[in-house]
Amino acid sequence: MIAVLRGFTDRVFGRGSAAITVPPFDGALKPNQMLEGAEIVAELAQPNDLASHGGNLYIANGVEVLRHVGDAMQVVARFDREVTALCALPDGRLAVALDGREIRVFSAANGPADNDVAIGGANMTAVNALTAAPSGNLLATDGSASYPTSQWTHDLMSHGRSGRVLSIDVVSKQVEVLASGLRYAFGIATSGDGAIVSESWRHRLLMVGTKGAGRSPLDNLPVYPSRLCPAAGGGFWLTAFTGRTQLVEFVLRENGYRRRMMQEIDPEFWVAPRLNSGNSFREPMQGAHLKTMGVVKPWAPPRSYGLVIRLNSDCVPRYSLHSRVDGRNHGVVAAVEAADSLYVLAKGAGRLLRLPLTAIEAEFGA
Amino acid sequence: MTDNVVELRKATKLYAGVPAIKDVDLQLRRGEIHALVGENGAGKSTLTKALSGVVTLTSGQLFINGAEVSPRTPLEARQLGVAMVFQENSLVPTMTVAQNLFLGQEKFYNRLRGIYIAAQQFLQSLNFDVPPTATVGLLGAAKKQMVEIARAVLHQAKVIIFDEPTASLTPEEKAYFFDLVRDLKKRGVSIIFISHALEEALLLADRITVLRDGKHVVTDDAANFDRARIIQAMVGRDLSNTLYGKRKTTVRPSGERILSVQNLKMAPMVKNNSLSVFAGQITGVFGLVGAGRTETFKIVAGVLKRDFFYGGEVLLKGKPVRYRVPAPAVQDGVAYVTEDRKVEGFFETMSIARNVYLGLLSKFPGGRFLLSKREADQTGDDWISRLKVRAISPKAKVVELSGGNQQKVVIAKSLAQEPDLIIFDEPTRGVDVGAIVEIHELINKLADDGKAVVVISSYLPEILALSDRILVSRQGKVVEEFSALDATEEKIMYAAIH
Repeated sequence: MIAVLRGFTDRVFGRGSAAITVPPFDGALKPNQMLEGAEIVAELAQPNDLASHGGNLYIANGVEVLRHVGDAMQVVARFDREVTALCALPDGRLAVALDGREIRVFSAANGPADNDVAIGGANMTAVNALTAAPSGNLLATDGSASYPTSQWTHDLMSHGRSGRVLSIDVVSKQVEVLASGLRYAFGIATSGDGAIVSESWRHRLLMVGTKGAGRSPLDNLPVYPSRLCPAAGGGFWLTAFTGRTQLVEFVLRENGYRRRMMQEIDPEFWVAPRLNSGNSFREPMQGAHLKTMGVVKPWAPPRSYGLVIRLNSDCVPRYSLHSRVDGRNHGVVAAVEAADSLYVLAKGAGRLLRLPLTAIEAEFGA
Repeated sequence: MTDNVVELRKATKLYAGVPAIKDVDLQLRRGEIHALVGENGAGKSTLTKALSGVVTLTSGQLFINGAEVSPRTPLEARQLGVAMVFQENSLVPTMTVAQNLFLGQEKFYNRLRGIYIAAQQFLQSLNFDVPPTATVGLLGAAKKQMVEIARAVLHQAKVIIFDEPTASLTPEEKAYFFDLVRDLKKRGVSIIFISHALEEALLLADRITVLRDGKHVVTDDAANFDRARIIQAMVGRDLSNTLYGKRKTTVRPSGERILSVQNLKMAPMVKNNSLSVFAGQITGVFGLVGAGRTETFKIVAGVLKRDFFYGGEVLLKGKPVRYRVPAPAVQDGVAYVTEDRKVEGFFETMSIARNVYLGLLSKFPGGRFLLSKREADQTGDDWISRLKVRAISPKAKVVELSGGNQQKVVIAKSLAQEPDLIIFDEPTRGVDVGAIVEIHELINKLADDGKAVVVISSYLPEILALSDRILVSRQGKVVEEFSALDATEEKIMYAAIH
């Protein structure tokens, strides 16, 4: 009874569970311009994911999988649907998710063939990240059962909670659901016997094992986390495709306003996080302080943002690389190490970025 | 007629047979600014209390304008032209600024409006931004200090004694204060100036006297002193490098996020403030007076109750908390070491052991039915030895200790609660150099032991010497964060002002 009353009073006074607050970018998340100053390796039309194997860097770009060789891009594979996730297997093969609904495994050297492994069904709708498990299975995150990957803002604004973690046996083509009811699962990396999963709408990482979802090693993030990849020397690189704002948190609690906005407004102009911004004067100016005298303030509330976080093996943030509100390299959805560099995919700007690991180490004394 | 407006010869004052000052000679020349420096417990306060009639000398002679006197009350001293501005202010908190200014000078018929107008004009002439109609109890420490100073000036004293006048003033307010003191000097007023900020003594004083252990060590022209010589004379050892001399070359990495303050509001001081504090690190918080630093952390520790309609969240180890009183915060591992130790830090007529034991008892929800005198004594003895509290005996009342040792008692009271998050608010205000070194060592050890430590300080060298990361607060919220490796005084001050 007291809990019910407390819930009611919290909603009236906007406190407790109804408090509209956002954690600060401080400590290891202190903003810098490392990502904004990164070398631009390539400008791509529809980049989605990155993978690396044996020093090779692979990029999922629209319906193609590309290999980065020297300064050029080679087409490794072309499909009839968009590649929404990509990973390299230990044996050198590549696994892709097509339109978020089907998994294909093919040879990176020879390209796709008719006898490639193809796994569909299991209600896969928005598979957005893949990784190889030590057991030989593929682990995948399926962001939503209601919306495809391209409509992730719809899932957020609908309070979607249909994300899943899948374990896929590429030999028997069996799909096992390891965890469900997640609020947009987007990114997975193996850790010990289990996996670490990004749950974007809950702004946290989650441990997932064979018995389902477990504890959260990192939560209350000021961003929407996306893909994870292992880092040399232990730990992970965690990308975040945008930052949280009090305005979006507020809209998410205002059900009437949110429903009308979804019905009547072009999704491009919703009060919602974006992968890039500043494209139209009709965009909502969050906090009404985005520009002063024609200059975008770097510390303004982010409609879009670029961020890569370096985590240690316990998922404690060590440092982070930023492209702030006044930058362009926003909507970061993937980062992988290849050779002596960290490659970062800024989907919002359509850019593949490169940062030498030695430069990062020098900057942060890592 | 002698040139010395005040002269002390062989002044001695005993408390319970223990000398606070012994055979001290001092001459104060007409129109001179004379700095009195020394560690806490060196006898500065006792000396000035004897001059201002708060205490009487056990032996020795006091001459004012060449005549031997023995003022027995502050009123007698004021009538002789000696006024004192106390370190811990002596204003009446329930009265207005104007009423405090004119306290003791009331006419038979007082018009309140007339008092306010006169006070307003007088405060403006001193460039002090204090409303005369404000209730003193509601003013911040800096503004109270201004009222104290204004009252001494108003009484047209020929000798004004300032005890730590700048401890709670902002840099701008300090500049005003220095101008004011120089102006008083031009008018022929003699100033005795006690300060632990040695740079201020070097900058402002004509002559400097150093006391140590209740005895006179040296008096010389300020031009003949430098910081190292003063410290050497004060403590008998060279501490200048151990205090603020070294720059940090490494910082502790951040551990678990212990505290997260998100969009906290509490009008008018805290405005949408957000910050984090991590385990195993010292987080320094710098800001000018009124920047909302103290209020933010008082809300965190439940010392200041947040009204129900103010928003924001405080998360302790990821769990939302909203403390209305400090006890549950203490039970959750949050300790707040106050900036105002005399009012909020201890019970001054109780012993050290009792005070520390009280801190320990607050860990128990609902208190404890049975109390143990032996446990209290053991706890007290333990913390006295761990923090090197210098007292005549373990049963000494806290009021009898020097400022530095009183501060150690306040810290011991908090540390006895075994907190995970310790908030030090101005930990070395009004504390002598030797005690500062010991308190800094203690703070560093707490961080090395994995505790989350917050140090709120208005003194930049202290922030730079202690902190691993530095948060700068301005107008109610944190506006900038620096690593101790990148920070400079200029950068921090720029962020605090602009």
